[in-house]
Amino acid sequence: MSLVELQGIKKFFDDVRAVDGIELEIENGEFLVILGPSGCGKTTLMRMIAGLEKPTAGQIFIGGEDVTALPPRKRGVSMVFQSYALYPHMNVFNNIAFPLKAQSREKKYDKRAIRDKVENTARLLEIDMLLDRRPRQLSGGQRQRVAIARAMVTQPAVLLLDEPLSNLDAKLRANARDELKEFQRSSNITAVFVTHDQIEAMGLGDRIVVMSHGKIQQIGTPQLIYDDPANEFVATFLGSPSMNILRSDAFSFGFRPENFLPKTLADNPENSRIFHYYVKRVEYLGSDRLLYGYVHGHDNELTLAKVPSNVRVSLDVDCDYEFAVHNSDIKFFDKQSGQRIEEQNLQGVV
Amino acid sequence: MASASDVLNPRRYFMDDRRFVGVMFLAPALLYILLLVGLPFLLAIAFGFSDVTVGNTELNFIGFDNFVAVWENDIFRQVFGNTVMFTLVSQVFILIFANILAIIFTQEFTGKWFARFIFILPWATPVSLAAIGWLWMFDTKYSPIDYLLLQTGFLGPKGILSNSRNLYWLANPVLSQISVIFVQVWRMTPLATVILMAGLSSIPTDILDQAEVDGSRFMRTLLQIKLPLILPIMVIALLFSMITMFGDMTVVYVLTRGGPVDYTRIIGLYSFQIGIEGGNLAQGAAMALFAFPLLLALALLMLRTASRAEVR
Repeated sequence: MSLVELQGIKKFFDDVRAVDGIELEIENGEFLVILGPSGCGKTTLMRMIAGLEKPTAGQIFIGGEDVTALPPRKRGVSMVFQSYALYPHMNVFNNIAFPLKAQSREKKYDKRAIRDKVENTARLLEIDMLLDRRPRQLSGGQRQRVAIARAMVTQPAVLLLDEPLSNLDAKLRANARDELKEFQRSSNITAVFVTHDQIEAMGLGDRIVVMSHGKIQQIGTPQLIYDDPANEFVATFLGSPSMNILRSDAFSFGFRPENFLPKTLADNPENSRIFHYYVKRVEYLGSDRLLYGYVHGHDNELTLAKVPSNVRVSLDVDCDYEFAVHNSDIKFFDKQSGQRIEEQNLQGVV
Repeated sequence: MASASDVLNPRRYFMDDRRFVGVMFLAPALLYILLLVGLPFLLAIAFGFSDVTVGNTELNFIGFDNFVAVWENDIFRQVFGNTVMFTLVSQVFILIFANILAIIFTQEFTGKWFARFIFILPWATPVSLAAIGWLWMFDTKYSPIDYLLLQTGFLGPKGILSNSRNLYWLANPVLSQISVIFVQVWRMTPLATVILMAGLSSIPTDILDQAEVDGSRFMRTLLQIKLPLILPIMVIALLFSMITMFGDMTVVYVLTRGGPVDYTRIIGLYSFQIGIEGGNLAQGAAMALFAFPLLLALALLMLRTASRAEVR
């Protein structure tokens, strides 16, 4: 049995269907990322796992036990908020010790045990020299570590993280991402990480759950979700710049800008589809050239191409070129539902 | 239609002059403070160091003589003690009740709007009207409180509290003091509660959610998270009601006029009685000013504590 199981979870706020029928299993020791645009219900879903919100319908199991009606403290979960929510009037030691003290009656922690646990956790996160400081005396990165230490100190079954990296500046963020992943792997804790940042999701997740409008769009490894999107939403939500989508009479099809290359560069042109591409504008991005233009026959659908800079092909503005996409890199979608259509089902239409 | 001269000459109306409008906006508040606060305050200082009376309005500087005389006055010492005691005791109750009520009123329950409305009434009622209402409640013969106690067997021939049919609230030394403190607490708790409610609702919900996930229950969250976080605001609430209380004379003036003997006489009332009713302006002013350095020091100390406890 999975560590966490969500069955038919719904949450409505009056008329708003924040979470609308979620089925999800989270395995022990896995790093699961819930990815989606803001307002997609991902934070609400996490708050229901934590016990801060009651689902309108559905059941939540943690470790095989139905916890749907239980308060947070009986669920064995802990949480790191986006703001870190450190207690501003307590020093770092007391912040980390707070969950232990709050649960000391049930778990029989004495003062000594609390001190040992706090110090061990702090050492693990390399904040043991900060124990006397107040939160306002800490940097963003240090605050984040304190929040994680406080969440880890009770050795929870599940660690919930609500966009914990978004308050860090870009330079720190990459570093913190790396450390977080390393920490999760070494402690083997089950982590559920909510984010709207696809790079974070791709970098951290063992599996990614893509959500939109309260529903799961796709679950899978980062590679699966990127290479094999289940629908148009997932295809365009991941990737930067996002996938080009072109519409034809019967269906839509899409390909990623980095797979859209001059024909002369294609490995096997006989398995590729050739497009006449008019280049309107070129952006030089250092490692890549980003082309903006139009594919012949799709004059209203801006199409991007990302060509590595080390490819010495001259590409000029206001010129027509032949570009190619490998057949396997073209994805087909139903025009109405946006769902993926396998190519063999399109025989006769193409 | 805008003509060329309108565009070239934008200051056609005097209301377009920023400096003029700025002064106009500030003027009412400035005048109010200067004429009704600043001037009387300076006048009180001038009176306090002079020998002015209603009969002889000539100001002769006599140094600290008034203050020495006031301090050597046994009645004033008792009045000063009463004032400090009333203020401190009522603040303790106000803080306790205001905290409890603020916590109740920040929870969700049916009829909350109505309960809040009822509860804010004492604060919205003019002090003198409220005091007259309480004067009837504490009436020597027809006090409804006494009537209820009589019906429940606490008063009357075999009463537990007294054999008499009445307690004589405002005539008994201890009961009169309790009555005055009670009315002050009744009247000032709402303001303190409203201030504390604002403080409680300013605590970020993330912090409270975090406490809940950390396993904290109601009392722990209250004592270790909520109350410490609203401490600076509590100090402000305390400061407000202390200073109001210290300077107030209306409640005692209406209820007891300071009696029985001097048991409920406080500085505000006594200085009014000596200075205005008795005509000794200089002595009255000295009494009113007597506590000023103390209050100022107290206010500064509390504000410093508040800003130090400020956590964000």
